[in-house]
Amino acid sequence: MAESVKGTVTSLSSLFPVEEAQKAAKRVEEIISERQKQLDQLRDFAADNNTLIRLVQRLPDELHHDIMVPFGKAAFFPGRLIHTNEFLVLLGEGYYAERTAKQTVGILNRRGKALEVQVESVKALMQDLKAEASFFDATASEAAEGLVEIREDYVEETSPKEASMIGIVEPKLPISSQAEDVSHVKDEEYDRIFSRLAELEKEEEEAEHANQEEIGSDDSDVSPGHVILEEEMKSLELEERGKSSRFQSTEKFPDHWHVEGSKATSKDCIVPENCLPENLAYGKFNLTENAPVEPQAEEDVKAPVIAETKAEARPSEPQFDSSKAFTGSIVEHNSDVNSKVQSVSRSSKPVSRFKMQRK
Amino acid sequence: MASSTGLRELQRDLENKANDLSKLQKDISKNHQIRKKYTIQLGENELVLKELDLLSEDANVYKLIGPVLVKQDMAEANANVKKRIEYISAELKRLDSTVQDLEDKQNSKKETIMKLQQKIQSLQAGKGKA
Repeated sequence: MAESVKGTVTSLSSLFPVEEAQKAAKRVEEIISERQKQLDQLRDFAADNNTLIRLVQRLPDELHHDIMVPFGKAAFFPGRLIHTNEFLVLLGEGYYAERTAKQTVGILNRRGKALEVQVESVKALMQDLKAEASFFDATASEAAEGLVEIREDYVEETSPKEASMIGIVEPKLPISSQAEDVSHVKDEEYDRIFSRLAELEKEEEEAEHANQEEIGSDDSDVSPGHVILEEEMKSLELEERGKSSRFQSTEKFPDHWHVEGSKATSKDCIVPENCLPENLAYGKFNLTENAPVEPQAEEDVKAPVIAETKAEARPSEPQFDSSKAFTGSIVEHNSDVNSKVQSVSRSSKPVSRFKMQRK
Repeated sequence: MASSTGLRELQRDLENKANDLSKLQKDISKNHQIRKKYTIQLGENELVLKELDLLSEDANVYKLIGPVLVKQDMAEANANVKKRIEYISAELKRLDSTVQDLEDKQNSKKETIMKLQQKIQSLQAGKGKA
């Protein structure tokens, strides 16, 4: 690859010379005409078959028919057709069978069906060939017009973009810069979502425990969290809704805070996967929002979180501790919770304000 | 002088190879035609077999041998057609293998011809310089 130029430019006519393309197109045309002939022949057979069926159906209507019998190529003599319900039908390969008119019609109908199948197959073949021909024609005309093909490496293009995007956001963050690696953008993104989820679960667990006044065993805190976490991955939104209703019924302050926070994060977790590459503003948004969380979980997803749970689980009022352990984004929520009915979009707005404050 | 005789020899060789190649191609196309014929026959025989199966046991079946129709037993006719289908299938398989073989040969011939052409070209270039 050239140092300055990213892609390569080759004229189409050098790849596919005009004459060659035209030759190919001509050849395909020839094949098509051949197939067309075959198709016509098959259609003729089918038509013959149909007239024959009609004749065979009509013959037994009379006991005998007066006909002109062909004699040689040019001569006819009058004759009479008798035994009008007896046919010697050619089955193919020199085999003949004695059949009645009705049976003969059955055979002929089956033959007609076989012919139809053949017609269809030839038609499909011709369609393919026509597509090929049009492609060759297009190629020939494009080559004649002097079209050029420009090739650029897709991966080369995207990774610097993402890197630069991270570069914009990351330097503001204190810890995240140490662990960042351009090649691990995806993993990191996943980790971030995962850690966020894990924390969320911890919080919920914790809040529940706080409600039930079950403060103490850390192990029991950790394992259910993981179990629920897996469930959460599948149906995040649904479960959240169910929990939110449950929590709101308890009418406790930390729970509200928690519900609001979880709602916001569930959205956040979903968004960056889809929108990060396309929408820069959105991506930044999420990064800054997630940024304060990263320090806790960047090196290891689980361990810091557990430690945090320990720290949070011991005090009887987790509401303040967790708000301290968590960063500004959640403090904002905390203050906003008083108004209870808070849309997600609004909940994320204060965070951006917070970001400006941090700057 | 030596190079020119070498060149001539190479060209003669190339001509021979090209002839061989065209012969091979002819063989292949001939094989394809035979194959096509056999596939058509196979289809026809299968049709006959189907019709024979549909016929009742006591139906009269005739075989056209030369200019005359010879009456045949149903079972006999059935067996004959089946045998014929088997034979054609075997023949088709054989033809496939021979075509494959011929195509392999053709490809190798093409390669040797390409090499010869390159050699001749390089020789001619050398001659042009000298």
